[in-house]
Amino acid sequence: MTGPLVSIEDLHVSFLTEQGSVRAVDGVSFDLEPGKSIGIVGESGSGKSVTAKTLMNLLPSYAQVKGSMKFDGRDLRELARKKEKHFWGVEMTMIFQDPMTSLNPVKRVGEQIAESLRVHMNRSRREAMTEAGDLLEQVGIPEPGKRLRQYPHELSGGLRQRVVIAIALSCGPRLLIADEPTTALDVTVQKHILDLLDGLRKERGMSMILITHDLGVVKGRTDEIMVMYGGRTMEEASTSALFECDGLHPYTEALNATIPRIDTPSHTRLVPIPGKPPEVIGRIEGCPFAPRCRYSTSECLTEMPPLVEQEQGHFCACHNPVGTPEGIKAREANQNTGHTPAGLDMKEFEAFAVHTETGEI
Amino acid sequence: MRLNLMTRRRGFRGLSPQDEDSSLIDDERKEKRKIGFGFWVAIGWMVLVIMAALLAPILPIPDPDQTGAGGRLDAPNWDNWFGTDTNGRDMFSRTIWGSRVSLTVGFFAIVFGFAVGGPLGIVAGFFKGATDKFLSIIIFILFAFPGLVLALLIISLLGQTLAVVCLTVGVIGVAPIARLARAITISTAEREFVAASRILGSTNRRIMIREILPNVTIPMGALAFLGMALAIVGEGGLAFLGLSVEEGFSWGKMIVLGSASRTLQKAPWVSMFPIGVMFLTVMSLNYAGDRLRDFFDVREMGIGGG
Amino acid sequence: MGFILKRIAQMVAVIIAATFLAFTAMNSLGDPLFNVVGFHASVDCEAVLAGEIEDVSGQGGTDVGDCEVVEAAREKYHLNDPLPVRYVRWAGDVIQGDLGISFKNSMPVTTIIGNRIPKSIFLMVVAEIFALIIAVPAAIRAAYKANRVFDKSATVSSFGFISLPNFALGVILFYLFVVKWQIFPSRYEDDDLFSRLRSTVLPGMTLALPLAATYFRLLRTDLITTLQEDFVLMAKAKGLSDSWIMFRHVLRPSLFSLVTVFGLSTGGLIGGALVVEQIFVIPGLGRTFVEAVIRDDFPLVLGLVTIISSSFIAINFIVDIFYSVIDPRVSRET
Repeated sequence: MTGPLVSIEDLHVSFLTEQGSVRAVDGVSFDLEPGKSIGIVGESGSGKSVTAKTLMNLLPSYAQVKGSMKFDGRDLRELARKKEKHFWGVEMTMIFQDPMTSLNPVKRVGEQIAESLRVHMNRSRREAMTEAGDLLEQVGIPEPGKRLRQYPHELSGGLRQRVVIAIALSCGPRLLIADEPTTALDVTVQKHILDLLDGLRKERGMSMILITHDLGVVKGRTDEIMVMYGGRTMEEASTSALFECDGLHPYTEALNATIPRIDTPSHTRLVPIPGKPPEVIGRIEGCPFAPRCRYSTSECLTEMPPLVEQEQGHFCACHNPVGTPEGIKAREANQNTGHTPAGLDMKEFEAFAVHTETGEI
Repeated sequence: MRLNLMTRRRGFRGLSPQDEDSSLIDDERKEKRKIGFGFWVAIGWMVLVIMAALLAPILPIPDPDQTGAGGRLDAPNWDNWFGTDTNGRDMFSRTIWGSRVSLTVGFFAIVFGFAVGGPLGIVAGFFKGATDKFLSIIIFILFAFPGLVLALLIISLLGQTLAVVCLTVGVIGVAPIARLARAITISTAEREFVAASRILGSTNRRIMIREILPNVTIPMGALAFLGMALAIVGEGGLAFLGLSVEEGFSWGKMIVLGSASRTLQKAPWVSMFPIGVMFLTVMSLNYAGDRLRDFFDVREMGIGGG
Repeated sequence: MGFILKRIAQMVAVIIAATFLAFTAMNSLGDPLFNVVGFHASVDCEAVLAGEIEDVSGQGGTDVGDCEVVEAAREKYHLNDPLPVRYVRWAGDVIQGDLGISFKNSMPVTTIIGNRIPKSIFLMVVAEIFALIIAVPAAIRAAYKANRVFDKSATVSSFGFISLPNFALGVILFYLFVVKWQIFPSRYEDDDLFSRLRSTVLPGMTLALPLAATYFRLLRTDLITTLQEDFVLMAKAKGLSDSWIMFRHVLRPSLFSLVTVFGLSTGGLIGGALVVEQIFVIPGLGRTFVEAVIRDDFPLVLGLVTIISSSFIAINFIVDIFYSVIDPRVSRET
C-alpha cells in the first residue's frame, strides 16, 4: 500500500462541561507510515491520551471532535458514525497503563484473549482457546496452558501486561497504540515489556504509537517522536534528530533535563519544571508553554507559534527555539531582567538548567 | 474517575487522572456538601406532624372518639377535612390522635434500640477479642429471626400494651444498630487520637465515652431517622395484623379499619388519608436520613432484613 | 469442600442457638404444659391438688380430675426436668418431624404447617420473580443511560416505593384493582394453576414492588460503578459491542450486592407475606401465624417460629456459599 497508514490533520477535541468547554487536543497533525513507530511524549494534561482515545473511538458522548483522521485511507470519523463493528480491536488496538484494572477480574485469562477471536474472527470456542495459548507463547509467557485457566489476580504485573498485549495482538492489527504501558510496572519489568513490544512490532510489520510522559522510554526505540503540551504539538522529529540536539523546543529541553539518570549521585533531588500546568478551559492566548519558558518573549504570550520545519523533517512550534539566534537572544534578555515576560523568576530555573547544554540559567 | 463511556454524566467528572490534571471541581462532590432544600422540607413536615401530635389535646378539633361529628362515611368537606369513618368520627382528628401512638412507638423503639444496641456495639468493637466474639454471636442470632417473626414471638408472650409494642420494635432494631456501632467503633479505635488518649493514661471507659462515642453518634443520627421510619412502618404492620396496642388507635389500625372491601368501595378516604400521612412521614424520615448519610458520607450503613 | 462443610456446621449451630432461644422463651413465659396436654390450665393446679382450692367450677374448664391428669402428664413428660434437657428432647422430636399438637384443633403442628406452606412459598417465589423481572432490566437501562429521563424517573419512583409500607401498598392495590376496577378477584382461588396465578398477581406485586425498588437501586449503583472500571474501557477498545460488554462483562461483577440482599430480603418477604395474606385473604402461613399468636396457641407459634427461622438461616447460608463460589476473588477461608 502507498501513503501513510495513519493520517491525522488538525485534530481538535474538546469536552462539554458545565464549566464550559475543556480543550484537550488543540490542533494536532501527524502521519504514521506502515511499520513505523512514533512516540508521543507529554505530561498529564498534554492531550496525548485523548488523541489516542479519539483514534480508538473511546470518547464519551460529551466530546466534540473536529478535524480529520484517516486510517489506510478510511475516514475514522465515518467509521465511528456508522458504528463499524470489526474495525477497532482488529485493525487498530490499544493497551493501557494498568494491566490489573484492564483485565476483568472475574474472567479467566484465556477467555479474555479468546473473546476477540470469537467475536471478530469467527473462531469457535476451542479454536480460539488454542490460538490464545499460541499468543501467550508469543508474548513470552511460560506454561501457556496453565495460564489460560488462571484469573488475572493470580499473575504478576509483568505477566498481566503481557496478557494484555496478547489480547491486543490477537486479531493481527496493523496499528497498536500503547498508552503508558510500563508506567505501572517495576523498572526491571519495564524494559522487558518494551523490548517485547519492539520485537513483536518488527515481526509483524506493525505500526505503533507509544504514549508516555518519560522521554527515556522512547529514546532509541521509536522511529519518530512527537512532543505535546497543552493539547498542541510542540516538536516533532525523528528520534535520532531529536536526541542529537537535545530538543529544539524549550519544553523538550526541559523534559530531557529532568530525566533522572542512572549516573546521577543518589539522593539527588528530582528536578521539576518550574511553573504549573496550563488552564484547560477557554482559549489561551499565545503559546501554552510560555508561562514556564525561559526563552519566552512578550510575543510568546500573545502569538501562538506555528509548527515550522526547522530542519529536514524536524518540526518545532516555537518563536525562539533552543540554540537558534532568537532563542539565545531571548534567554539573555530574560537573564538581564531577572525574570520571564510571564513573571517567572529566572532563579527557578537554576535546578534544572545545570542539566541542559547551557549549563546555567 | 474514569472517562465514562456508555453514560453521560450531568456533572463533569474530570478526565481520567492518568492523562489530564483536572482542575475542575467535581460536581457531584459539591452537591453532597449541601444538605439540600429537600432535607429541610422533610424536617419541616416532621416538625408539623410532631407538633400536631403533641398539641392534639388542645387543638380545636373534634374528639376523635366522638361519633356523630359528621354523618357516616362522609366525604371530605369543610367540616370534616378528612371525611368521617363508618361511625361518623372525624378522620382528621383521628389521624392526628393516631399519630401519637405511631410516633411514640417510632421514637421509643429507636431510643430502646440505640440504648441497647449502641453500647453493645461499642463495647464489642472496642474490646474485640473474646468479648467481641461473644457479643457478635448474640447480634448474629438476633439477625437470624426475620423481623416480624421475632415481633410476633415477643408479643405472643408479653401481651399487647404500648410498652411491649415499643419494646418489640426496638428489639428488632438492636441488631442492625449494634452492628453499625461496632463497625464504626472498630474503625475509630484505630485512629490516632484514641492512641493519644490512651498514652495520656485514660481508662477504657473514658476513651469509650469521650473519644469513640462522639464519632459514633453522627452516623447513628442518620440511622436514627431511617430507623424511626422503619419503626413506624413496623408498628403499622403490627397494627394491621391486629397485634398492636389493644387500646387506642394508630395509623396502622386506622388503615386496617378502612380497608374492608365495602368501606373501600364507598369511602376510600378512610384508609387513604392515614396511608397518605404515614407515607409522607416515612418518606420524610427516609429522605432526611439519606441526606444526612450522604452529607456525612457514611459508608457502612445498611439496615438488614425485615 | 471443607469450606462448605464448615459453613454447614456453622449453620446448624445457629439454628440450634436460635431455636433454643425461642424454646426457652416460650417455655419460660408460656406454659410448658402445652407440648403435652394441649391446653393450659388457668387454674393453679398445684393449689388444687394440694387441697387448697375447692371450688374450681367456672375457671377455665379444669377440675380436680383434670388437674390430676395434668400432674400425671407433668411426670410422664418430664416437665420437671431442667430446661436444657427438655430442649434436647424437643429437638429430638423436631428432627423426627414432630412439632407438637396445636391447641386449636389438636392437629399436629406439622400437618397444619404442611397445608399452609405451599401457598406462602408460592407467593414469595412469585414475588421474588416479579421483583427481579422488574428490577434487573430497569437497572440495566438506567445505568446505561444514567441521569437521563428513564433513570431519573425510575430512581424517584423507587424511592417512593421504598417509603410506602407494604400494607399500605396492598390496600391501595386492592382498592384499585379489586374494588374500583374489578380486574382481579377478591377471593383467593386455586382450583387450577391459572386461577392460582391470577389470585397471586396482586399480593405478589405488593411484595414485589418495594423489593424491586431496593434491588433496582442497588444494582443500578453497582452497574454504574462497574462501568467506570478500566476493563470496560479495554473491552470497548477490543471493539466489543455495548450490549456484549454490558451482559458479559459488567453484569456479573455487579450482582454481588444484589445477591447479598437477596438472602436478607427473604426475611422482609416473610414479614411482608404475613401482612399481604391478611389483606388478600390468602390461607397461607402468615395468617396462620397471626391467628396462632392471637389465640395463644403456643405449640403452633413455636413450630412456626422454628420452621421460619430455620429456613431463613438456611437460605442466608446458602447465599453465602453461593457468593463465594461465584466470586473467585473471595478467599475460601473463614
